[in-house]
Amino acid sequence: MEDIIEVQHLSKFFGENEILKDINFTVKKGEVVCIIGSSGSGKSTLLRCINLLEKPNGGKIIYHGKNILDNKHDVYEYRTKLGMVFQQFNLFNNYNVLENCTIGQIKVLNRSKEEAEEVAMKFLKVVGMDQYINAKPNQLSGGQKQRVAIARALSMEPDVLMFDEPTSALDPEMVGEVLSVMQDLAKSGLTMLVVTHEMGFASEVADRVVFMDKGVIAEEGSPEEIFNNPKEERTREFLRRIL
Amino acid sequence: MTWSWFFKIIEEYWPMFLRGAGVTLLISIIGTVIGAIIGLIIGTIRTIPPSDNGFKRFWLKIVNFILTVYVEVFRGTPMIVQSMVIYYGSLMLFNINMDKMFAGIFIVSINTGAYTAEIVRGGIISVDKGQFEAAHAIGMNHAKTMLYVVLPQVVRNILPAIGNEFVINIKDTSVLNVISVTELYYQTSSITGNVFRFFEPFLIASVIYLIMTLTVTRILRLIEKKMDGPENFNVIPGNQMQVARPDHVANKIGKRG
Repeated sequence: MEDIIEVQHLSKFFGENEILKDINFTVKKGEVVCIIGSSGSGKSTLLRCINLLEKPNGGKIIYHGKNILDNKHDVYEYRTKLGMVFQQFNLFNNYNVLENCTIGQIKVLNRSKEEAEEVAMKFLKVVGMDQYINAKPNQLSGGQKQRVAIARALSMEPDVLMFDEPTSALDPEMVGEVLSVMQDLAKSGLTMLVVTHEMGFASEVADRVVFMDKGVIAEEGSPEEIFNNPKEERTREFLRRIL
Repeated sequence: MTWSWFFKIIEEYWPMFLRGAGVTLLISIIGTVIGAIIGLIIGTIRTIPPSDNGFKRFWLKIVNFILTVYVEVFRGTPMIVQSMVIYYGSLMLFNINMDKMFAGIFIVSINTGAYTAEIVRGGIISVDKGQFEAAHAIGMNHAKTMLYVVLPQVVRNILPAIGNEFVINIKDTSVLNVISVTELYYQTSSITGNVFRFFEPFLIASVIYLIMTLTVTRILRLIEKKMDGPENFNVIPGNQMQVARPDHVANKIGKRG
């Protein structure tokens, strides 16, 4: 299958600290890749480097055959191709649910209001939030906010949807509703890159699991390999701690 | 007897008071609005992230330096002195005879701009970093992020402070009498020259100032409420089962129980 994103020798420093060391991995079309690992292992930083919210210090990010770290590349256009769902939802506080899903389409993709609303409603239905289009973000529960955030990202019709610990800020009873939406999306063939602590979700939904430790990819494989037959000692230890 | 004078002055000079109040209100409204726009623009420019391009970075530094000088100079000198310097300075140095009304609005605007620039900067800093990141993540550049996501929130948050500026402007336009702008203080002074009494005309002027500031504060409160929108929202009725999955229904029942 076609590679959508290929990360080569990526490195990232925060001051003196090397957060990411020589990261190499690819995301293929239609694949669901879960990145797991303990806090501080660089998972989120990797995700944020891929859509350039953090600027990598070295390496390449190849997107459809082009290195987007070249200065000439249009960062803003590239970002519209990558959806991002944040841990803290980050819905736009000044807009209601529907406007949250249309503002990017109208102002960035230059779609008409009618077209944008149609697309937004389609995806709000997918996440089950189409009844709440008039609500402001501060009137919603965490799980509802996160589902709207997913619809907002989908409305841009990205090539890849990236999730940065989408359920970590939720009350336990709301984790289920977000995970089930993500599960449906995975089944629909959407390419997804998910940083998560939900091992159940990773083992069930992922095509490939990447285990990160101290800024490097320690092990990578199918969920079966990682969860049942981990090769590396540190993978085994991480799983012992978390399961 | 003071009271008879009081009513006599009102009776005789009310058009002058009214004209003065009108000019005061006009200058302070336009001055505050233009000042707030100047502040928003400066605040946006000052929060542009440093570019990788050396040339752009150089320009940004120069622009930022000029803006800092502007803010410091106009915050650091009294408006009454600025009025003199700008009005008579433009006449002497550039031979421009400014319209007095225009001069008044100009001075109040740039003065307010200097203050609101700092208010806006504080407002931008107080907006959650996640709002910027989410906007960037859907492909907005700095200008779009500011225009559509950050500034609307900033405007709502700084509205009380802008209201403060507005009230201050209503009162401080009185200093424009030094360049003979016919605002309320100037008109009142003229009236005192006619009636040879000071207490009553200025008592009337103070009541008019108070009415103006109180009205403005109330109107701004209403605008704030309007911007906050309704506290409740409508759930659009629809076919629930279309979107609900068994686990959702179970969740809801679980919550109630």
